[in-house]
Amino acid sequence: MEKKITMPKLRPEMRSGVLCAWLKEEGETVTAGEPLFEIETDKVVNQIEATESGVLKKQLFEEGDTVDVETAVAVLEMK
Amino acid sequence: MITFDNRSHDPYYNLAFEEYVFEQFPNDEIFLLWQNSPCVVVGSHQNICREVHMPSLRRLHIPVVRRSSGGGTVYHDLGNVNYTYITASDGMVDYERCMQPVIEALNAIGVPAGKNRTCDIAIGQQKISGSAQRMSKGRVLHHGTLLFQSDLAVLDRITTHHKNDCFQTKGTLSDICSVTNICEHMNRSMTVAEFQQRLLDAMLPPGSAYLELTAQQRAEVCRLRDEKYHSWQWTWGMTPAFVYEKSGQYAGMPICVRYRAKKGIVSDAQIECAGIDAGQAAAALNGTRLDPDGFYAICCALSPDRADELMDCLM
Repeated sequence: MEKKITMPKLRPEMRSGVLCAWLKEEGETVTAGEPLFEIETDKVVNQIEATESGVLKKQLFEEGDTVDVETAVAVLEMK
Repeated sequence: MITFDNRSHDPYYNLAFEEYVFEQFPNDEIFLLWQNSPCVVVGSHQNICREVHMPSLRRLHIPVVRRSSGGGTVYHDLGNVNYTYITASDGMVDYERCMQPVIEALNAIGVPAGKNRTCDIAIGQQKISGSAQRMSKGRVLHHGTLLFQSDLAVLDRITTHHKNDCFQTKGTLSDICSVTNICEHMNRSMTVAEFQQRLLDAMLPPGSAYLELTAQQRAEVCRLRDEKYHSWQWTWGMTPAFVYEKSGQYAGMPICVRYRAKKGIVSDAQIECAGIDAGQAAAALNGTRLDPDGFYAICCALSPDRADELMDCLM
């Protein structure tokens, strides 16, 4: 089963965030609670963690891309 | 609430120090005050060369340090006091909650400061403090500067007059604001040390613990300083990918410099100038690290008599 991890909305006014860094590569195994990628918005760097365990199937954006809130950023293939 | 005494003025050590307590004391609410000797501190995902004129900073021996929070570029000196507030977070960005106690403590010691914009503290419309955050594992590290009696002329020269527009890149840009020193707005004069002590006492609730790291913990901080904050990998390797293009004058001749860098490694380098061997320049630059000292060594090899002039065209 696949699960999409989206750009979170961290403030009511937040429209988009920058995907700063991938902390996992495609094909890597991810455990729930491990950070997947790092985003920046409003001078905050936030590590976004995997909510479930699985394999990172797809990185949908490149480092440096601005992504609208609630848009899928990563696809996780769950075990 | 707890606080840790840290008298170091080494910016690399101090950033490692706050990261260490953020990671190692996950159950405590922590407030720190600390100072850096003159340095430039950039946000986690900024392009250093776009924010400051690196050849000038290199000549002035002012180090550039990358922090792990977001936001823009700031200049620190011993007239500036940094604060760090670490607490639990529900994952939502909330500057108000972190800044309000600091503003109240400032007011309590006679600083007529208030919140300005999202994450600044100002006296009137003039900024005295900027802040940024890092969130991880249900915790937030909020830190900010407090301009007490900084050299604002140097700050202005370094952070606002040398923006470099030779880049096509993503990454975080800094804002430029009108600033003032806190000491100009106080009823009675005090030293920066007294300001720090009074702010700390006003900030910490009665019964708070004043702690020091043990020798072993300080050794761990030193290890983090050396492995992360002193490393090329962190300071330069984290630079967002960019294309650099600059046209100017070198030795009275027109020069055009172009290169790309991804993960801090230079490629597609071209120097077009009658006074420079293009083949030698490309060979020296391609594959090299984006690094001021390394670039300067290349400039010395390409142009022994005018290395500084060439360096100004390259970064």
